[in-house]
Amino acid sequence: MLREDFVIQTNIRRILIRSNIDYSEITFGTVRGVVYIQGTFKVSGISTDGGSRDTEDIVTKTLRSLELKIRGIPGVVDVKFQLLNWKKEKGQWMPTKKVE
Amino acid sequence: MDADKKSGIRQFKGKQVKLYKQISIEIEKEIQIHPNYADLHNQFGLLLMVEGDSEGAESHFLEALSLNSKYREANLNLGFLYIEMKRWKEAEDIFLSEGRRYPKDGFLHHTLGVLYFQTERQKEALVHIRKAIQCHPYYRDYYRKRGVWHRGKVHLDQKRERVFKKIHLNYHYAQFHNFIGLYLAKKGKSIQAVRELKKAAKLKPDEFLFHANLGTVYYYQGAYRKAIQEYKKALEIDPLFGMGYANLSYTYGLINRTREALRYMERAVRLNPHYADLHYNLALLYSDRKRYEKAISELKKALRINSNYLFARINLGVLYEEQKKWNKARREYRKILEITPDNEDVRRRLERIS
Repeated sequence: MLREDFVIQTNIRRILIRSNIDYSEITFGTVRGVVYIQGTFKVSGISTDGGSRDTEDIVTKTLRSLELKIRGIPGVVDVKFQLLNWKKEKGQWMPTKKVE
Repeated sequence: MDADKKSGIRQFKGKQVKLYKQISIEIEKEIQIHPNYADLHNQFGLLLMVEGDSEGAESHFLEALSLNSKYREANLNLGFLYIEMKRWKEAEDIFLSEGRRYPKDGFLHHTLGVLYFQTERQKEALVHIRKAIQCHPYYRDYYRKRGVWHRGKVHLDQKRERVFKKIHLNYHYAQFHNFIGLYLAKKGKSIQAVRELKKAAKLKPDEFLFHANLGTVYYYQGAYRKAIQEYKKALEIDPLFGMGYANLSYTYGLINRTREALRYMERAVRLNPHYADLHYNLALLYSDRKRYEKAISELKKALRINSNYLFARINLGVLYEEQKKWNKARREYRKILEITPDNEDVRRRLERIS
């Protein structure tokens, strides 16, 4: 299986650019097929007063979709999210503080 | 588009006028929210200029310059506006000062040439036309095609003179289409964006930025081969455009052509040695090709620029680990945990080799 970190990295970049994610506070790296996503996760155009059920649903869906897309890149063996405002517990995404 | 046939927004068709007016309204609203954004004032000035509102355009270009006195694009737009308004002295001052800052910019010489022709200063005009030709072969071809340059001399009869005097408008309209293209791209309307950016590049083919922007929109669209073509055109015009090489490298990466990606990333790093992210990407390329020493060296450079660059440190730790340099690997992992103590993944990596 193709496992070139640079190719994975360029694919993540493309996924972020073509998504509705505000990636201004996101950084990402790839180490032997393991993808790390760090920073503050935001969705473009989502109100920043945060915390509403709708907002959380949209962010959760976006996170799930992002994870799926990244896992779909050939060579990706794992995705590790180390976000400041969202965490995944028992397969469920939840905010660690008010959505900013 | 022949700039000499019609002026202002009248030259555009119904749909375009509607689109440009709509953008104009949106930018005006944005200015009310962000009155101190020089970019917005420059963009609005450009729109007003195309609409034929010279006074309005002038006030917004001046506002952009008062917010950022080094704003070259706003200064040039103001210069072209003054030419349109026949305020020759003010235009001359702007283009002469820009010409001193960028003596190899053919378009500035060309514009000064036009300006001097307009004011019956033939000798000075010829000096600048010749300088424009020396700066870039594009101008020689351009003048030749229009019959202005023939056998090493400038020839202007009445008809040619009229066309020649309006050529400078191409710059202005090119800027306008470039701006509209970027605006549409930001809104996700990439097909329309490409159309606008192509118009910009056609009007001023020697402007690297238009090709670079076109490349980026194609990249967004997923049209990677077209993106590569445009990035290459941009780099032919400005071989020192460092981020152009980086963009080319990323695009080659997407089509799995990592040999080319490596070549262009090396150039990007040479031209932007203080950009940690580029060193990191170059390290990945070296690492993928098993050139570990070079990869380590690039990761160290990235970390010298930004000691908190966690991914660079993780990659470095893993590379040390693979080379059985346990102490060095442990040191990198410990440093990561100092910065992010909750990093379980790195903690596990450290425990594994402790």
